[in-house]
Amino acid sequence: MTRRGSPRIEGYAALAAVGLVAALALRRPELAILAAPFALVLAVGTRVARDPDVSVELAVEEERTVEGLDVPAVATVRAAGAVDRLEVALVLPSGVDAVDEDGGVRALGLPAGGEREISFTLRCSRWGVFELAEIEVRARDPFRLVVWSSRVPARQQLRAYPTQLSLLRIVPPVETQVYTGSEVARAKGEGIEYADLRAFVPGDRVRSINWRASARRQRLVVNERHPERNTDVVLFVDSFLDVRGAGRSLLEEAIRAAAALATRYLERRDRVGLVSLGGVLRWLRPGMGVAQRYRLVETMLETGVEPTYTWVDVNLIPARILPPNALVLSLTPLLDPRFVAALADLRARRFDVAVVEVDPVPLIEPGTSGVEPLAFRLWILEREVLRVRLERLGIGVARWSGGELERAVEEVRAFRRYARTARA
Amino acid sequence: MGALAAVPVARGDGAVEAASVRLAAVALVVLVAGLVLGWARLVPVSIALAAGSYAAELVLDGAPLDPAAPLLAVAALLAAELGYWSLEERESARGEPAEELRHAVFAAGLGVAALVVGVALLVLADLVRTEGLALDVAGASAAAAVLAAIVLASRERGRSRH
Repeated sequence: MTRRGSPRIEGYAALAAVGLVAALALRRPELAILAAPFALVLAVGTRVARDPDVSVELAVEEERTVEGLDVPAVATVRAAGAVDRLEVALVLPSGVDAVDEDGGVRALGLPAGGEREISFTLRCSRWGVFELAEIEVRARDPFRLVVWSSRVPARQQLRAYPTQLSLLRIVPPVETQVYTGSEVARAKGEGIEYADLRAFVPGDRVRSINWRASARRQRLVVNERHPERNTDVVLFVDSFLDVRGAGRSLLEEAIRAAAALATRYLERRDRVGLVSLGGVLRWLRPGMGVAQRYRLVETMLETGVEPTYTWVDVNLIPARILPPNALVLSLTPLLDPRFVAALADLRARRFDVAVVEVDPVPLIEPGTSGVEPLAFRLWILEREVLRVRLERLGIGVARWSGGELERAVEEVRAFRRYARTARA
Repeated sequence: MGALAAVPVARGDGAVEAASVRLAAVALVVLVAGLVLGWARLVPVSIALAAGSYAAELVLDGAPLDPAAPLLAVAALLAAELGYWSLEERESARGEPAEELRHAVFAAGLGVAALVVGVALLVLADLVRTEGLALDVAGASAAAAVLAAIVLASRERGRSRH
């Protein structure tokens, strides 16, 4: 621990010195009497002050949490020597706050060889992986003349998962896969949803015969049905850049939306994969089940902006990550041309692509001087052009400004319901 | 600190009283400024100002030996102690009630110890008040104490750099 004198030492030394010198100069013993207590406190206090040898450990009750939820943490403090006043302060990274009344700083006294547990409540204001950096400890002797301080590494990690956005409907993929799921396939087969009638052929099951239609037509006809199949969905996240402002981060919102979409698709027994295209290319093979959900969230937590000027395109993505007939659902602010090119490239490869545009416009200040407002309007127009260009390629684009994701999803659904699937 | 400032005001006459009042007011303003702005260095300055008015009153009145000196010493020490405590509470977390009570008791103990030491010194000063060599001995002791305090303080500062 680092030892340093408190402001008392300086002040008391000055008062004692001035008092005693004045007593000598003015030949008044009263001034020496006035100064004596200060000199006495200094002499005794500095003699009895001993390094208390404080050690502290932090234990977070849950290493995984959801943003906005409280996480209890306990700091265990031990002192070899007596401490009159021990201050324990958590040095927290940005995004983690101590929500206790005292803001993560506590003061207490400890006897020699004593141990105390101090409870803190932490809360992650956003999702991510946080290293709880350090605990600052300051100990004072009974005379409060000397302060020992040290910073102890916390060695604790806190992973905050994004909160779930409410989402009732999803963007249905055009093509289905072979496994049983919740999506009604276009193909005919064994299922629940009625598709058509056809003439009975040997081998058809008797229960498939539509007796009413057969009676009308005077020959046996059977019902045809659409089977329920699962789909492959690849969440395609733009991590080339992030726009922050007004307490919002577009990348964080995109990840939050991706987590909600992944959860919803996985509930339907769909296979969900993830590609985070940016400075660092991250991917996760499509899979299903609860384990896949956790894998997806863990991969999302590691997503961050790594600035790069190199050209990154879809050729870098392994083929198995983008299965044929998969729906590529993209979450992007449509700001980086490399990501826009990747979307067009995927569409050209006949992937079913849809875009949820995490709208950056509300976070951009238009400017007031000179040509700034004009430049802003031109930029807005360029974005409109880009949107139209993507829609002409058959890519449904829905704007999402961080509110209800449901509305954006519905916008994409509407586009896909009425738009012809264009060829790139 | 009020006691330290009040004594010269009460005892002084005419010009001394007016000067003491002004000095006490300045000392009070300095103390309040130190506490409000969080400048710890203003605490000893305000005590020194109040003590200065007391010293001026002693010198100008030329009274033999003031029996109230130990009490004023206690007042000065407690004023400084409470001032620093207040600043500590501002810059860090609020302590537990038991811890605050413990330190209040400790400060009171310091006051009692200061009173005992002050009375002892007063008695000693009274005994040796026969002028001449005795006063010189007292002065030399005071000088030695000054040196000891400064050496101790400088050693503390030296350690803090490591």
